[in-house]
Amino acid sequence: MKRVIYISLILLVFLLFLKACIRKDVPEQETANNQNLNQKTEFEFPQKAKTVTINGTDYLQSQAPTGKFGGEVILSIFGEGPKTFNPFTSKDATSSQMAGMMFDGLFTTDAKTGEVIPKLAKKYELKGNDYYIYLRKGIQWSDGNPITADDVIFTWKNIIFAGLGNTSLRDSCIIDGKLPLITKIDDYTVKFSLPRPFAPFLRQLSAEVAPKHIFEPAVKQGAKYFDGFYSTTTPPEKFVTSGAFKLKEYKPAQRVVFVRNPNYYEINTKNEKLPYLNKVVYLIVGDANNEILKFEAKEIDVISLKGSNVARYKQKEPNADYKIYNIGPDTGTMFIVLNLNNRKNSEGKYYVQPEKQFWFKDKNFRYAIDYAIDRDNMVQNIANGLAEPLFTAESLNSIFLNKNIKGHKRDIDISREYLKQSGFSTNKNGKLIDKYGNNVEFDLYTNAGNIERESLGVMIKQDLEDLGMKINFKPIEFNTLVNKMVNTLDWDMILMGLTGSPLEPHNGKNVWNSYGSLHLFNQRLEKLSYDDRLDFEKQLDEIYDKASLETDFKARKALYDKYQQIIYDEKPIIYLYSPTRIIAVRKKLKNIYPSTLNGIMYNIEEIYLDK
Amino acid sequence: MQEILIYILKRILQTIPLLILVSIISFFIIRLSPVDPLAELKLNPSISKETLQKEAQRMGLNKPIWKQYLLWAKSFAKGDLGVTTTGESVASKLKERIPNTLLLTIVVIFMTWSTAIPLGMLAAVKWKTPFDRFLTFLTSIGMAIPSFFFAILLLIFAVKSGWFPVGGLTSYNFDEMGFFHKILDITHHLILPVTVLFTISLAGLQRQMRANILDVLDSDYVKFARAKGLSENKVLFKHALRNAVNPMITLLGFEFSSLLSGAALTEYVFQYPGLGRLILEAVLKSDINLVMASLMMGAFMLIAGNLLSDILLILTDPRIRARG
Repeated sequence: MKRVIYISLILLVFLLFLKACIRKDVPEQETANNQNLNQKTEFEFPQKAKTVTINGTDYLQSQAPTGKFGGEVILSIFGEGPKTFNPFTSKDATSSQMAGMMFDGLFTTDAKTGEVIPKLAKKYELKGNDYYIYLRKGIQWSDGNPITADDVIFTWKNIIFAGLGNTSLRDSCIIDGKLPLITKIDDYTVKFSLPRPFAPFLRQLSAEVAPKHIFEPAVKQGAKYFDGFYSTTTPPEKFVTSGAFKLKEYKPAQRVVFVRNPNYYEINTKNEKLPYLNKVVYLIVGDANNEILKFEAKEIDVISLKGSNVARYKQKEPNADYKIYNIGPDTGTMFIVLNLNNRKNSEGKYYVQPEKQFWFKDKNFRYAIDYAIDRDNMVQNIANGLAEPLFTAESLNSIFLNKNIKGHKRDIDISREYLKQSGFSTNKNGKLIDKYGNNVEFDLYTNAGNIERESLGVMIKQDLEDLGMKINFKPIEFNTLVNKMVNTLDWDMILMGLTGSPLEPHNGKNVWNSYGSLHLFNQRLEKLSYDDRLDFEKQLDEIYDKASLETDFKARKALYDKYQQIIYDEKPIIYLYSPTRIIAVRKKLKNIYPSTLNGIMYNIEEIYLDK
Repeated sequence: MQEILIYILKRILQTIPLLILVSIISFFIIRLSPVDPLAELKLNPSISKETLQKEAQRMGLNKPIWKQYLLWAKSFAKGDLGVTTTGESVASKLKERIPNTLLLTIVVIFMTWSTAIPLGMLAAVKWKTPFDRFLTFLTSIGMAIPSFFFAILLLIFAVKSGWFPVGGLTSYNFDEMGFFHKILDITHHLILPVTVLFTISLAGLQRQMRANILDVLDSDYVKFARAKGLSENKVLFKHALRNAVNPMITLLGFEFSSLLSGAALTEYVFQYPGLGRLILEAVLKSDINLVMASLMMGAFMLIAGNLLSDILLILTDPRIRARG
């Protein structure tokens, strides 16, 4: 009897556990559901902020609807958190984002049009090759000291051009081997004299400005000291900032908390000082899954949605406390790149096996690959319909996008035709062989752990195997992959993504310049004594040089259109698709104007809470 | 007493070559793996060649591996753990995280040991009764369920019920709380990760203790003690427990070494700001100084834990002392 009770007890407990696993069958959402999401969310942007002078102070006046003061918004950042709060030593996106909360640049980007608009500066004038920058009078750092021309000159001369911290900005300002000259005209006017016209320069002036009275002692201590200055261990009260917020607390692996800067120079239309929010909290979350859980538990207010989550969130939206925005294509690009390298390494061995070199350098072969890839299938099955096929080197939201490149559908017959023209044929077993009788077989690498890329890789493998090629798909660890890609160069084809800039194609010069540090498809590790550039590489170098000289937007665009056309015609890199960015924002946040160029929280000082 | 001191000294001296060997092996394995610490920078189109070169120089990547090792060993011997690839001090990074991890593991170890030992004894005394069977059933679940899976289940539970925070150690407004509120907040955050680690280590420990006591209860001297007419309590606590506790002390040594590293997986799932996340990222990015510091710390803790349990054994077991 005892035994029976005992067994039934155990069974009962077990059943209770099982009950938890049972749930009603929910029909799978169709990707068709996502189609209506594939349209950009439309709304009116507020008028551009303008400069208003009150009692001798040149405030920036936001034209967004006025709101209530107080409250806090909780956001999230991925990974291990910022490495530094110093905008000049930052080398990663998170650190730059955190520094950007605290420091404003002279200019910023208009969220709607992508134009360069004044921020810390009042306006600029271009006279010949000289940029005259006029600063706001009477505005202050968070500690009450005035922001003047000295701060701007110090920042550019003693920090950026002196090569402290991350030198990438300085290196991209070198024009014909010379740096621009900086002259102080008066306390509120600075002149930047360029050796020749240089179009990207104005946007580079969006770099943060440092408070001279705080940074000068640190700069004097030398480069090594500067690398550790304003780091994550600096006490928050030491931060003197120009941005809407300043650091209040940094708890490693937990959160970064910012409080409002009472001396901020932006006001609303009622002439009240912004920002509205008292606090902005960034929770440091390890990965996307954790972020989703935190959003569902209402611990964070904004989330970027991916894949299957989009449909689920969209379904719940009508009764939920969030609104979903489609802010258009992502700034990143996804592509496969072929290794066109025909050089030998230091041990005298070819980086790429000679027979493969013959395939890859054959334009017909690259065309065959391009036409064999089924981008529509990728968009439907990997991106859940939330993406668009991509054929250009510039991302779809770029203001320099060449809209004449229309792309094409998958067409395996055209592919076969191209292969035939170059003497490829299929043998009895359906395998593709080149005209010397070699089996066409090569490796495709991508970074492991990225589910999107891993599934893309499988699709590409299948698409290309329809042509009879044999593809060995090898996902490997990210750091190992990059090492292969830019150092050891022993790879055939890589599936990768790069972050791009929708505003400034010149930022991609490390990729397109024949001697660039990220010239993926034909990486040269050092300057060569002879010129072995391919014809189209020479053309690209020329276009990039010319376009940087051109300050007229239309003329510049024509040049960048040409570069995109060349990449599309030559196909050293074959672009796949561009995902659509979908975000969910709690309805209690107002003045939300997400932009495909600037993201969501770029106007953090205008955002307010309305419960 | 003096013998024990000499013994300890000997053991400590023995660890030095061991630590050197561990450091050489780990250093070369990390450095020979084709992982590039600069990978992320290299893949950023806006980072210039000059910046990359500057970084490589700063990290000493342009020197041969054996030279890198010697440099590292020299500064390690001086007590300097160096800087991470991003230029932060390794020692201060570790210092930020160690207290958090210790808080978690000490709570867990304290709870498991104070529950597992009595439960194990109880189960042994009540051998083959429903109570024992029920405990066996529960501990089997604890042993069978993988920790990360259990952690994820609890996280989902936290989201659905809203009773617990989703990971982390403190709330975002922690700084503005009063003292007691702060303690409550931390406790609130600790409940779920502690539950996971507790359930999993309790199971093994309780089974071990039960087996030990059962083993001993069957021996001749216990039978003799019972025959002498000693009370059951006296038999259990005076004779059985003392003999059954030796393997547990060895286990305690291992537990000591897991103080800093044992909870990594659970920490990761719960986004707990401990060492686990830090080290995982360091390994993936080949952040050599940070990885080496944590590996050396692990090796050191293991050696110290073993030493500790050996000393405890000497103290508790006269037989080992005599053999000494």
